[in-house]
Amino acid sequence: MLRFIIRRLLLLIPILIGVSIVSFLMVHLIPGDPARILAGQNATPEDVLAIRERFGLDKPLTIQYFMFMKALISGNVKSLRTEKNVMEEILPRFLNTLQLSLVSIIISATMGIFFGIIAGVKRNTWVDNLVMGFSLFGVSMPVFWLGILLMLIFAVKLGWLPAGGKGTWKHIILPAITLGMATSAIIARMTRANILQVFHQDYIRTAYAFGISERKIIYKYVLKNALIPIVTVVGLQFGYLLGGAVLTESVFGWPGVGRLIADSIFTRDYTLIQVGVMFIAVIFVLINLLVDFTYAILDPRIRYGQG
Amino acid sequence: MRKRTWSLVILLVSLSFLLIFAGEAPKYGGKVIYTMGTDAKTLLPPHINDSPSGEVARHIFEGLVEYDEKLNIKPLLAEKWEMSNDGLTYTFYLRKGVKFHDGTDFNAQAVKKTFDFIINGKLRRTNIYKKRIKEVEIVDDYTVRFHLKAPFSDFLNYMASTNADILSPKAIEKYGDDYGEFGKYPVGTGPFVFVEWKPGEKIVLKANENYWGGRPYLDEIEFRVTPEDVTRALQIQSGDAHVTTRVPPVMYNALKKDPRVVIERVPETRVIFLGINTIKKPLDDIRVRRALNYAIDKEKICKVVLQGMAFPLKSPISELLPGHYPVGAYPYDPKKAKELLKEAGFDENHKLKLELATPKGRYLMDYQTALAIQGMLKEVGVEIDVRPMEWGEYINYLFAGRENAKYDIYLLGWSDTLASNVIDRLFSSTNVPPLGENIGFYSNPKVDELIEKISRAIDPKKKDEYLAEVQKIIMADAPWIFLHNVQELILYRKGLKGLIWHSSEFLDLRKAWWDK
Repeated sequence: MLRFIIRRLLLLIPILIGVSIVSFLMVHLIPGDPARILAGQNATPEDVLAIRERFGLDKPLTIQYFMFMKALISGNVKSLRTEKNVMEEILPRFLNTLQLSLVSIIISATMGIFFGIIAGVKRNTWVDNLVMGFSLFGVSMPVFWLGILLMLIFAVKLGWLPAGGKGTWKHIILPAITLGMATSAIIARMTRANILQVFHQDYIRTAYAFGISERKIIYKYVLKNALIPIVTVVGLQFGYLLGGAVLTESVFGWPGVGRLIADSIFTRDYTLIQVGVMFIAVIFVLINLLVDFTYAILDPRIRYGQG
Repeated sequence: MRKRTWSLVILLVSLSFLLIFAGEAPKYGGKVIYTMGTDAKTLLPPHINDSPSGEVARHIFEGLVEYDEKLNIKPLLAEKWEMSNDGLTYTFYLRKGVKFHDGTDFNAQAVKKTFDFIINGKLRRTNIYKKRIKEVEIVDDYTVRFHLKAPFSDFLNYMASTNADILSPKAIEKYGDDYGEFGKYPVGTGPFVFVEWKPGEKIVLKANENYWGGRPYLDEIEFRVTPEDVTRALQIQSGDAHVTTRVPPVMYNALKKDPRVVIERVPETRVIFLGINTIKKPLDDIRVRRALNYAIDKEKICKVVLQGMAFPLKSPISELLPGHYPVGAYPYDPKKAKELLKEAGFDENHKLKLELATPKGRYLMDYQTALAIQGMLKEVGVEIDVRPMEWGEYINYLFAGRENAKYDIYLLGWSDTLASNVIDRLFSSTNVPPLGENIGFYSNPKVDELIEKISRAIDPKKKDEYLAEVQKIIMADAPWIFLHNVQELILYRKGLKGLIWHSSEFLDLRKAWWDK
C-alpha cells in the first residue's frame, strides 16, 4: 500500500509538467493582449509598452515558459494584475472554496444517500417517484437562478440568513445548499441504482431465506456494498466542486478559487491562471488518491501495490 | 410686557429651528459596508489604473489638490497655488500640521520624495508625469515648486488625480522596491486608515482620529467584493450591506417601492459611441458616415433600450466635463440618411453592408443597443452583421493596427475627467493602434493643430475656445456615430446620509454618516 501511495505521489511530477505546458499554451492561445488589458483602457501607449517589457510579454514563448518555471520553482510567481505572489491570492481563496465544498458535500452526501436509500428501499412506490422527481429537479435547476431565489426568500423576505458574502456560519448555508443541490441529486440517483443492484444479488436473497430481518439486511449487507461506488462518486464530485464552484461563488460573493481563476481569464492574468490550474490539478490528484485509499479500507478485497 | 412677549417669541422660534435641524446634524458612529463588483488591484496610488482601487485609495490618500463633485479643482493638502506667467512653474503652499497615518510629517520633502519615486520608477502611471515634469524643487518646508518641460494646461487636473496622491516617505523607504508589497500597505494622510485587506473578500478602513480636517463621522468603512449585481442589490435590501452602485436597471421599479432603501439616478462621464473605421471604403466617405448618424434614433435607444438611463450626446465629450460645447446631436432623419447614401452610390440595388462589432456585458445594454441599431439601419437599406465578442478578444480585434484593421464600426465607451484628454486620445492622428486609442484612424490636420494648442493654452478662456472649435469640427466630420452619455444607479439604505457621488465614478463616503 505504501509503495502504491509513493508511486502515485511521484506521478505528480510528470503530471504537473504536462499541466504546466498545456496551461501555458492554452493561455497564450486566448485572443487578447494582456499588456493592454492590464494597462486599462485609459493607458498611454508608453504604459502598454512598459508593462509588456516589465513582465517579459515581448519575449519568445519558450523564454516566457522558462521564466515562468524558474519563478515557480523558486516560489516567486507574481500575478500580472496585482504583482503579489500568486500563492497569496490562491491559498486563502482555496481554503474558502475548500470550506464551502466540504460543507456542501457533507450536506449533499447526507441528503443524497438518505433519499437514495429511501428511494431504493421503497422502490417503485410513490416515495420512490417523489424522490427521483426531486432529484431531477435538483439536477436541472440552474445554480444562478437557485442562488438568487434562496437569497430573495431567506435573506430579503424572511431575514433569516445573510444575502451572500462571508463571515459567520450563517453565511455558508445558502451557497452550500445551492452548490450541493445538483450533487445531492446525482448521489441520490446513484445510491438508489446501487441499492437496487445489490438487492438482486444472490447473497441478499440467501439472507432473506435465512429469515434475517429486513432492517439488518439493509444496514449490514446492502448498504455496505452499495456505498462503495458512492465513495468514488462523492470523491469525484468533491473534486468537481472544488474547481467548479465559480458560479456559486460569483452569485454569493464567496471569495473562492474558482472565481479567482475565472476572473484571471477575463483579465488575462497569465501567471495566475497557470499556477491556479496546476494547483487544482494537484488537489484533484490528491483527492483521487484519497478516494482509492478509502475504497481499499471499505472493501477488503481491494489491495493496491500487489502483483 | 411687550418686551417680554417678544423675547419669548424669539426664544420659541429659535428652539423650533433647533428642533427641526437637530435631526439633520451629522452624528458620529457606525460602519458602512460598500459592496463593489470587483476587488481593488493595488492601493499604491501611482500604480492605480482601475476604478475600484481608486475609490478605496481616495479614502486613505490625499493629493495637493482634488476634484469636487462637479470636476472643479479645489485645494486639499495645498492651501493655495500659483502658476508662472509662462505656465512652466507651479508653486504650491502646503497645509501645516498634517501627519501621515504612520506619524511622519507631511511637508515639501514628502511631496518631492513622492514625485521622485513616481518619475524614476516603472509604475503604471510613471509616464504621464515623467513626460511633463522636469523637476520638483523644495523652496522651504511648506512650499514646493514644480518645473514643467513645457506649458501644460491640464497640469492641475493631473495633480488632482489619485495617481498624484502623496505617499509617506517612510513607506517609500520601506516598500519602494516592491510595488506588489507597497500596494498592500497604504499609508496616506486621509480621513480613513487602512486596517486589513482580504483579497477577493474585503478591505477595511477605520476612522483617522487625528485627521487634520476633523475626525470623520463613520467609525469604519468596509469595501466588500460581490461580483453579481443582483446579489449586491439584494444585500442592500436585506441590510447585509449599505450602499452599492451598478444596480441593474430592471430592478429600478421594484427597488423604488422598497421603504428600506433609496435608489437614485446619478450622472457619469462615460460616453458610448460607434467608432467608424475611416480608412476603409466606403466609410472614408463623409456622406456615408453622416448618413449613419442621421439613420439612428438616439432618443429612442436611450428611452427604450436603456430605460431612461442615458441621454443623447451633443458632442464627443460628456456634457458633465468642463470644456464641453453643445454642438448638437445629429437629428433622427432617415429620409436624409437615404439621400446621403444615394449620393454615395448606395440604394435598393446596391446595399451597404457593414459589420458592427460589440462587446457583451461590458457597458450597459451594449449588445442590445447594437441589435437596435441593426434594426434602425435596416430601415435605410444598410445591412448590419452584429458581431459580439468577449472583452479581451474585442480589444485584440480593435488594436490590431492599421494593416490588420478588419472592423467597420465598433461599439465602445470612454470615461474621462478631462475634455482635452478625450480629444487627444481618441482623435489625434498620431494616437492610433496598435498602441493608441484612435481606433477609427481619424485624421484632420486642423484637429491635430487644435489639440496642440489646447495642451499649451494656459489661458482658460482660450482653451475653451479651442475646445469648442475642435468639438464642432469632429461632429461635422462624423468619425463616430455619436450615441449617448450613460447614467448610473446607486442604491443605499435609508438613514445613510452625506454620501457624495462624483461623476468620475467615485462614491465618496468620507463625510457620510448614519441618521439613527
